[in-house]
Amino acid sequence: MLKNYLRIALRNLAKYKFISFINLFGLTVGLSCCLLILTYILHETSYDKYNRQAARIYRVTRSFNNKDGIVSLHLGAVAPPFGPLLQNDFPDIQKTTRILPMGNAPMRYEDKIFNEKELFCADTNFFSMFDVPVLKGNPQTALSDPFSILLTPDLARKYFGDADPMGKVIRMNNQFNLKVTGIFQPFPSATHMHPNVLISFNTLKDSAIYGENNLMTNWGNNAFYTYLLLPEHYPARSLEAQFPAFLDRRMHFPGAPADFKASKTTQLFLQPLTDIHLRSHLDEEIEENGDSSRVTIFGAIALFILLIACINYMNLSTARSALRAKEIGIRKVSGAVRQEIIVQFLSESILLSFVALLLAGALAWLTLPALNSVTGLELSIQTLLQIRVLLPLLLTPLIVGTLSGLYPAIFLSSFQPSKVLKGLLKVGSGNISFRKVLVVTQFAISIVLLISTAIVFQQLHYMQNTSLGFDKDHIVTLRYNNGLDNTYESFRNQLLQDPHIRQATRSSRIPSGRLLDEQGASTESGDSLRPVTADIKYLAVDHDFLSAYGIPIVAGRDFSRAYATDTTSYLLNVAATKALGIKTPQEMIGKNFAYAGVKGKVIGVMRDFNFESMHQAIVPLIMVMPPASQAGNSFGRISVKIAGNKDNIAAAIAHLEKTWKQYLPEVPFEYTFLDEHFEELYQSEQRQGILFTVFSGIAIFIACLGLLGLSAFSISQRLKEIGIRKVLGASTGGIVTLLSLDFLKLVAFAALIAFPIAWYAMHNWLRDFAYRIPIEWWVFAIAGILAATVALVTISIQALKAAVANPVKSLRSE
Amino acid sequence: MIKISELQKTYRTEEVETIALNRLSFEVKEGEFVSVMGPSGCGKSTLLNILGLLDDPDGGSFLFNGTEVAHFNERKRADLRKRNIGFVFQSFNLIDELTVFENVELPLIYLGVKGPERKQRVEVVLDKMQIMHRRNHYPQQLSGGQQQRVAVARAVVNNPKLILADEPTGNLDSSNGNEVMQLLTDLNEQGTTIIMVTHSEHDSRYSHRIIRMLDGQTVTENILV
Repeated sequence: MLKNYLRIALRNLAKYKFISFINLFGLTVGLSCCLLILTYILHETSYDKYNRQAARIYRVTRSFNNKDGIVSLHLGAVAPPFGPLLQNDFPDIQKTTRILPMGNAPMRYEDKIFNEKELFCADTNFFSMFDVPVLKGNPQTALSDPFSILLTPDLARKYFGDADPMGKVIRMNNQFNLKVTGIFQPFPSATHMHPNVLISFNTLKDSAIYGENNLMTNWGNNAFYTYLLLPEHYPARSLEAQFPAFLDRRMHFPGAPADFKASKTTQLFLQPLTDIHLRSHLDEEIEENGDSSRVTIFGAIALFILLIACINYMNLSTARSALRAKEIGIRKVSGAVRQEIIVQFLSESILLSFVALLLAGALAWLTLPALNSVTGLELSIQTLLQIRVLLPLLLTPLIVGTLSGLYPAIFLSSFQPSKVLKGLLKVGSGNISFRKVLVVTQFAISIVLLISTAIVFQQLHYMQNTSLGFDKDHIVTLRYNNGLDNTYESFRNQLLQDPHIRQATRSSRIPSGRLLDEQGASTESGDSLRPVTADIKYLAVDHDFLSAYGIPIVAGRDFSRAYATDTTSYLLNVAATKALGIKTPQEMIGKNFAYAGVKGKVIGVMRDFNFESMHQAIVPLIMVMPPASQAGNSFGRISVKIAGNKDNIAAAIAHLEKTWKQYLPEVPFEYTFLDEHFEELYQSEQRQGILFTVFSGIAIFIACLGLLGLSAFSISQRLKEIGIRKVLGASTGGIVTLLSLDFLKLVAFAALIAFPIAWYAMHNWLRDFAYRIPIEWWVFAIAGILAATVALVTISIQALKAAVANPVKSLRSE
Repeated sequence: MIKISELQKTYRTEEVETIALNRLSFEVKEGEFVSVMGPSGCGKSTLLNILGLLDDPDGGSFLFNGTEVAHFNERKRADLRKRNIGFVFQSFNLIDELTVFENVELPLIYLGVKGPERKQRVEVVLDKMQIMHRRNHYPQQLSGGQQQRVAVARAVVNNPKLILADEPTGNLDSSNGNEVMQLLTDLNEQGTTIIMVTHSEHDSRYSHRIIRMLDGQTVTENILV
């Protein structure tokens, strides 16, 4: 029986090549989109699951309340004492381990100097928490001695060639020597951190570096990522519930009032390791994380595209029903019952879906590299070849085939042989309105995707082109190095000798980074200073920051070398004055002010500017200028403003490099452009925009393929009518309009359904941005017109062919 | 073999009600060859559909080998049909995508006959109909007469007790038409009951009895032998 079904299915596929092509091509493209998106989803949801203990590992995070008791900051890292104290106070915790990201640093071995990225200090037991193979050295002890370093094999080869790296000494930052005690395999791509270099945590105990006492008492330096290993199926929430009491018991500050309760100002939380990548969007993360909503959005898009392809199948199969009617009649006369006919048609659609899946696999394999290069992801088709994925995947044709084939099967199997064999069946009658619903669904989905694509790009364009309130062009940034602490002024003067270099400045952070640093502020109230309730973030800068970045002063003055007291002077932004309840910036000038306990005066108010990405609103900001003695601890970056055009930039960078090498011969010269940092800020939106474009293009393409098949069929059914109309004097244009109008009405109806859905979806999406575009009506109009135009072109091809045909032919053949 | 009494069938659309069978009664004995004649729209085809269990009567009784089948459900009707009834149509009704062999094989597939036996039975009947040499051809590659022979082969491959023929020569020239009528006569002589709807007086003369219908009723019955 199945052989018979198979045979007739294949012969039908071969006989109606155009329709078969549309069905097979649509399903193949739809399924390959699904496979690509599935690869992406599997990658995104696999983060940190390589770790066999993943389900038992939690990261400790810390939030801070402002004076109103509202959480103002939530960090993924905590202060260094928490790790050992938690281990000590809660015997259920099986292990704790801490890591401290050290950023980048120059490393030297003999004459080889490189700037290394992703340096981390890690506790001795790091490898018992994180399942990464140690290729050389003892995982239990490699991180125990101070000044030990572990490298990845690539790094080891870079410094030592083929020589045995073990025991070799690398000089870091021209400050201290580290002995290689191990080689570890690089972390898999799907993890929330990717260390290249691990330095023993005990190195930090050295008083010149961090100090043992500091590690036990510094509650303010929340840079230590702390992980706990809990017993299997342990209720992490119950542990979390004990944290407030723990904080009150353990956190004490000298000079704090007797009734001080730490839990009123700060909280600790536990975050499952496997939740970090998709669900953690805290104020400080090791790397930029993914987003579970993006995974959901793309999952939905995959299903929508597949649905559009399935609808094509349903539509074309039912539209063509008359072509199979005789066969169904004969089968029924020959003894087939309805279920057998249903099984036959389902097996046809399942067979087609299976072939489509095989083709889709090949197509996905061919297009994945392109997707990777467009999105910057590192997806691999291997992800789909795991047994746990492959087996359910092979069942997809059953689902897709049933989804697409069930309605046609039920419809076709209902034919009465007595009617179909007499030719009494009206072609496609009875199911026309259902087919219309299907076409409307396809176009509604396509229009929603078109509108979404347009809005994503509009927002992206807005973020990239709206004035940030400062001049970000032609700014080169470098990492500040302590080696410049005493020679900075002369270094800067030498830079400025180049006419192309307009300004050079130091700051703790540079725009495009986050503004997270905050210390208490007090403002003048009568004769005394009263603490302010507003959160005011701070930025350490030198005299030249505002002029380098072109940020105007709206009241008072900028920091100046003419005033030696400016190290206790403060600059506020307008947002800060508003937060303090000051009506005009001028009122703030000359007021006494204290920040981080240092008393001084407000000397100027600067215009607000977007330091952070457009996702974040402008926050109250204070600029402080640390004394020269604290430069090393305060500054992280140098920004160099270059004048003019591209040629100048090359010359300026050459001069910059020459000067850098003169002052810091031990530190490799590395620079970036500030606008690249801003580009990176919107990279995920950029990727999302590209993917939206690709997938909405595919969706509308498949929908149009279906429309092409359906209109061809529908027009072929109206040839007699067209012939009669032409004989009676209808023009070609009139007939094309007549035939197209029916389908255009459907597209118009689809647009009406799509508009509110798209508006709602994009309104929600835009809520993630502090600065966002308004949703404009014309975007909807253009999307609707675009869909209608594409549909019209599709239909017109068929309509025109029918309209110019000789009416005598169609009438005679009738 | 067949006994219908007071059989009624009415077709309704929104505006029109057409009485196709109006209290029709007659009997067909096993081994008979009966022709049903009458003008277009007199209810011949409706009668044939009901006799072939392709359609339900609205009222009356239909005994098939003594069993009341008028209100059988679809599964029972399909079962009875595939075991007992063969059909021959005016327009042959062969499946274009199947070869001659595969078309004839179809009723045996639904009867659940195993592959080797199916092959043997199809070959026997194709041989009998003298179209064995065309077994791998598709219907559109055959002449009308050949196509109708294939249709007859398909109708008899499951050894039905009853063959219902709906104007079997309507689309054939006289020579091919005669050949088909001869085939039906041979089958009848071998014991198969045949009920044939026809407009052709010439063809009706091959049968034992002619039932003439008008407006859903029998008007005369002529016994020829």
